[in-house]
Amino acid sequence: MGKSAFEAELVSNSAILSIRDLRVYFHIRAGTVRAVDGIDLDLQPGEKLGLVGESGSGKTTTALAIMRMIKPPGQIAGGEINLDGTDLLALSESEMRSVRGFDIAMVPQAAMNALNPVRRVKDQIEDGLRDHGISESRNRMNERMSVLMQQVGLNDSVLRLFPHELSGGMKQRVTIAMAISHKPKLILADEPTSALDVVVQRQVMETLEEVRTAIGAAVILVGHDMGLMAQFADRIGVMYAGKLVELATVEEIFSNPKHPYTRLLIYSLPDTSGKRKLEGIPGLPPSLLSIPPGCPFMPRCPEAMDVCSIEKPQLTGEQNKVACHLHTEAAITV
Amino acid sequence: MTTQIAQETQESNGIGASESPTLLELRDVSQVFSSGPFWNRSHNVAVKDVSFRLSDSPALITAVAGESGSGKTTLGRIMLGFQDPTFGDVLYQGEKVSEMKRRERREYRRQVQAIFQDPFSVYNPFYKIDHLFTVAISKYRLAYSKDQAYHLIEEAISGVGLRPAETLGRYPHQLSGGQRQRVMVARSLLLKPKVIIADEPVSMVDASLRATILETLRTLNHELGIAILYITHDLTTAYQVADNIMIMYLGHVVEAGDVEHVINDPQHPYTQLLMRSIPMPDPKRRWGEMRNLGEPPYSGTQIMQGICPFVNRCPDALDRCTRELPEYYVLDQHRFARCFLHQDAEMAGDSDIARYFKTR
Repeated sequence: MGKSAFEAELVSNSAILSIRDLRVYFHIRAGTVRAVDGIDLDLQPGEKLGLVGESGSGKTTTALAIMRMIKPPGQIAGGEINLDGTDLLALSESEMRSVRGFDIAMVPQAAMNALNPVRRVKDQIEDGLRDHGISESRNRMNERMSVLMQQVGLNDSVLRLFPHELSGGMKQRVTIAMAISHKPKLILADEPTSALDVVVQRQVMETLEEVRTAIGAAVILVGHDMGLMAQFADRIGVMYAGKLVELATVEEIFSNPKHPYTRLLIYSLPDTSGKRKLEGIPGLPPSLLSIPPGCPFMPRCPEAMDVCSIEKPQLTGEQNKVACHLHTEAAITV
Repeated sequence: MTTQIAQETQESNGIGASESPTLLELRDVSQVFSSGPFWNRSHNVAVKDVSFRLSDSPALITAVAGESGSGKTTLGRIMLGFQDPTFGDVLYQGEKVSEMKRRERREYRRQVQAIFQDPFSVYNPFYKIDHLFTVAISKYRLAYSKDQAYHLIEEAISGVGLRPAETLGRYPHQLSGGQRQRVMVARSLLLKPKVIIADEPVSMVDASLRATILETLRTLNHELGIAILYITHDLTTAYQVADNIMIMYLGHVVEAGDVEHVINDPQHPYTQLLMRSIPMPDPKRRWGEMRNLGEPPYSGTQIMQGICPFVNRCPDALDRCTRELPEYYVLDQHRFARCFLHQDAEMAGDSDIARYFKTR
């Protein structure tokens, strides 16, 4: 796709984030791992998108690629990431540094590892503020930080504490406070509550939703908990073997899942409305070193057809998209 | 293959079963962790006065649920004999574990097996999967020849739905998280246990593989008659797997009984809070009206002795709750709640929790 055509498309769809054909490869001795293999995604301002998939499906790698935090041996092998008109992949490292934490913020998975254990909460938040050019008087700075604490539902006194003095939920709220300190346009939340209990999980997710509404940021929530996604997201992208296999509104995903993988994923969830035989998804995801030629889900798919082993299905559809031959012309013609 | 194991397990289970029907029993067990210097000692009560029995006639699946710090893992460790309780006794087939002789203790260790949360850290990455099994076989002298040992291993691995040829001879990193966790179940199975204590066995496994592991546990229980204690924080999997459930809060069992009753009609405010916080995989059933959830306790919280442990978070707290610890109020045949909201109900005469469990 030509650059100008891409930009023209951007103007028309007013997305805050546009990803085109993003590919992230890890070059290791055994070969090339195609962790993310051609993803197209548009995110509207203020939208909440959930990215789900099994471990190794590329959901976290996608989030890291948006931050341009892929470390060697990994590299962004191609594609475009456009944030509000800026091509992130064209920026220099120092320019990217000013975007990170400012326009795009991240809420990490393990809050206990994200905070520095030997420094007070206050100093760590202040670092983040100063790093993006906010230098004010002592009093103004303190005021700013206590407003942040209020927004995430914490007491001012937490500022003077060390991370080990906080509970898991409080730590995760501190990381949310850091993330929103510059009113970013986009927040990437990578399984922010997977280490927390259900009650705390609900509190943290509700805090995240409150601050998100307040600053009007878009959110990409990465995770594998379909329940949490149903509660939080507007739209859900299902990833499998480095590709998006379905992208649809949350209502559509749960009431009318089109891809067999999505269907199995939802069906494998335990619920409390009657006991039944629990069924997982048989088989394992393909090795990303050598992805089979056809549909990557074909070997595990209960509805696989002949065409599935030959041709890769493309993500098609208007608002709700799916990459599956059950929903393409190819199934009929072959 | 599984029926063969079933027969053998029943045979080996037959020895003790005739003498005493109760397999594993806790009598008024409390666990206190003390820390700090002697002039300023702090005591954390991890488990407070828990009595219950795991029976093998019939063998059931019992879930223990609660948030972190509720004492559920400590309870599991006490039952495994990893930890001697501060107060109270653990009895295995009628004998106190603390007074067991070496041989008896080894037998107890074999018959009560554990499955842990993290399927990554239980393996030594330098050894092949086979090592896990051969060590257990030589330790408990289960086989007299290599062929016999291999046969046992194959049987155990097939028993959990894995293919021996694809599993043996591999290193841990070559298996997925779900496979590793099933190999751990297979290792337990190899020892023909009577009890399996599974501490959060699926919390680190992908959602799509969880179902398979839980189904394996259910099969072991139904077909081989192994009693299972399923420790979890996830009430939805507890509901699917278990027959009965105990809800723990700060070391106290606050509600227990038939899983259908406790999960679908919770009576203790804490159970209600847990149920309301589950993110249901249905966008039409969003999290309901938020009542005051309160801050959960975290490690280091000391229990106020002699009052309801949940009182400072409880939206329905009464005056009485700040003064006394509620009794077990029997709500129906298969359930009790420890809450003064039910003070009109009959009080339990016996603190044995399992008395109110449903049997199959």
